[in-house]
Amino acid sequence: MTTASHDQTRAESTPNLAEGQTAYLSRNEVASLCMKAARGAGMSWGMAEEAGFASAWLLQHGIDGPRHLKAHLDAAQGRPWRDLCPKVTPGQWQAPVGRALCPVVLGVTLCDYAGLPEGLVAGPSIRIGRVDHPVLLIPFLATLGAILDLVFDLAWPGGAALIDGGDDTLAQAVVALNGQQVPLILTARAGTPHQPTHGPAPQIAAETIAALGALAMRTTVPASDASRAGAGSTTPDND
Amino acid sequence: MSQSLHHVKSSTALYRRPASEVMRLSRMGCSQPTRLSFLRILLRRARREGWKVARTVWEIDAKGSGHAVYRTRCGARTYSLVAFAHDLPDEMRSDRVIATAWDATFTLFDGDPSPADIARLRENVPLQEAGRISTSELTLARANRSVRLFRHVVDALARGEQPDVEELAKTGYLMRTTAVYGSGKFGAADRADIAERPELAAPFQVEMLTVWLIRAFTVDLAEHLAAMAGGARAVRLDAELRRSLGVGNSTGLGMAPFLVRHPVLMNNWMMAREEALARVRAQNAASPKAIAGLRTALGAAMANAAAWTSEHPVQVPKIADLRHDLRLLSDTVTAWDFAQPRPWDALWCWGVDALTCEGQEALLSVMLEPHGDLVDDLADCMGADEAPSFRINGAMSVRELRAALRQHYGWALSIDFTTPENVARFWYVSEEKLEPRLGERATEEGATLEQPLCIARLAAELDEALQGRDGDETTAAVLLACPEHRYVIRRVQIAQNHPFAEIHDNLIAADMLPIDLLRSKLSFFGATRFDPRSDRWVRINLFQGAPFPDEIGMEGTP
Repeated sequence: MTTASHDQTRAESTPNLAEGQTAYLSRNEVASLCMKAARGAGMSWGMAEEAGFASAWLLQHGIDGPRHLKAHLDAAQGRPWRDLCPKVTPGQWQAPVGRALCPVVLGVTLCDYAGLPEGLVAGPSIRIGRVDHPVLLIPFLATLGAILDLVFDLAWPGGAALIDGGDDTLAQAVVALNGQQVPLILTARAGTPHQPTHGPAPQIAAETIAALGALAMRTTVPASDASRAGAGSTTPDND
Repeated sequence: MSQSLHHVKSSTALYRRPASEVMRLSRMGCSQPTRLSFLRILLRRARREGWKVARTVWEIDAKGSGHAVYRTRCGARTYSLVAFAHDLPDEMRSDRVIATAWDATFTLFDGDPSPADIARLRENVPLQEAGRISTSELTLARANRSVRLFRHVVDALARGEQPDVEELAKTGYLMRTTAVYGSGKFGAADRADIAERPELAAPFQVEMLTVWLIRAFTVDLAEHLAAMAGGARAVRLDAELRRSLGVGNSTGLGMAPFLVRHPVLMNNWMMAREEALARVRAQNAASPKAIAGLRTALGAAMANAAAWTSEHPVQVPKIADLRHDLRLLSDTVTAWDFAQPRPWDALWCWGVDALTCEGQEALLSVMLEPHGDLVDDLADCMGADEAPSFRINGAMSVRELRAALRQHYGWALSIDFTTPENVARFWYVSEEKLEPRLGERATEEGATLEQPLCIARLAAELDEALQGRDGDETTAAVLLACPEHRYVIRRVQIAQNHPFAEIHDNLIAADMLPIDLLRSKLSFFGATRFDPRSDRWVRINLFQGAPFPDEIGMEGTP
């Protein structure tokens, strides 16, 4: 039996939209959908949670995080870990040969290594190999900045962005980084980031939701008589 | 804002139960509602702040179709339950998430809904999962009638008579909810956006308010239909009989993973309850008022246990244990020397020796009951901001990580996952309905798509992976080499500061009972009459015996 991901009776919260429509999604819905989609695209559960976090963070700041994640997962799904993760050395984080880094993996690893010799500290720059959809890097840098009192300069051939928690700089960074696949120079500076205001929630396109939903469906198990039989009450519901 | 419990008095530390005792599934499956349960927190605040509930709209026809609005004024804010009543044929009634129609559907609106809001909600709320709500809504819920009792009550009231007491007791509710969704589901407001409101800071307060107002609606609907049928002869339901009715709830596996997925939140619930018990045990003396309060609570617990019925083979002996224990406890309390030093601790220690798990958890509940002044502030510690514990500390060394594993996951590392009975099940999400289910690994397909709910095995796998690694290596380096362990490493670091974050049992063992998870969670809601209909599907009752909105402030306890 084939099952559309838009079944009226499913225990799932993302909306049922016709092509061309858009919808507001809550952060909880975005985090949940994007986590499942990332898992369906091959990320580990823990990394998939990070993808959910990043997408919901962007949404909270008025940016269509699901669209960016979908675009990245379209390109990266099924790639083995060694083709997604950086080779970490002090001052130099390399991309896999012939590949662009996964921005979620990169963002998470930058957070993991913060303060360690190979990682971000105020002052020295890190040269980072090509990064896919670097907009998804912003939530990790913004979180790190708020925890460690750092602001970040990102530079790449033909462009630059500042991640300092400000609304205007965030909007500019998103525009500048949108659709790029570039090597980055990342520099942390000591400084207190601004408290960003939460932007109006963007409308999410049906196509984005459907694509993420299709990836999320890969985490599910087709029905069998045994699974249907075990799910509910063994006595009738009417009383 | 939630307060932290990290500063709890050291004077109570001696009296706190360890996680190794509290977090066993067999004990969690004996949980009882307490005065820290979420519906009790709601009712206390409603009483303290003098919340005013008014039925501002009642447009329901003689067949029971239409809509109603219950407006609740809580201090500066207003919350409105918008109820849609439907005339549902019997054959369409199912409690499963797979149902497509219900007797009534609801949403809790944030404020006073305009006619345009009502029109929008009418297009969406009755569709439930297939509809959308907005950030102006806080919950989405639905309920089905208890057909037999609902009919009996309407018929009796229409004839000018009160319904049969025993019939009411047998079911205990006119309608049961089959889902109450909050936290941003279907486009509703995100929890984080409302969690700072004082009246919503404790967990599940919008859900509890929704159910409390639904309860009022169920009785109003029955009285309305009786009046339509009986005309001048019809009477309203006697206030005492009305009190005996709660709202039923039917729930299944969908609820079970919640406790595993929210370790910080579960820790805070457990820690608040355990700290409350420790505070009571740590007292030097017992006041006459507290002793009288204990006896009253014990009487209520015995009455509840006497009325509690179930046909499920697991639940039947548990109810028998509870009744036996409560009789023993009652006899013991009658003769208890409350003049001895630390009389509450002595009573607790007696209970640990003399009572089954069922009795011990009931003793906990009745011991907290007369100590509101001592423990009610702990309600402020039960919410959780989960974001701060999400970031992993990559600087932690492998040595420290292994020490944390040994300290907090010793129970997991001692499980032998090479035996079939210890890996007998797997949790998965069904493609057909996207609901969590539990499969048999040996006979069912799909184990490769297992959900990460068996934390014990994940911890054991992490331990094995760490064995060959240098103790000075950082967690960051481990995560780069072994990304599959990120999920469980996050939990191990959380467990370091949250002693009650993990259920100390194997959630994929052959003999694991999902209903134990359900009972624990539902007890924190304040549910009574836990009645399993299979090992993974239960009926419960919420608000039974509690005041109705029009009685708030005019009643005694609870």
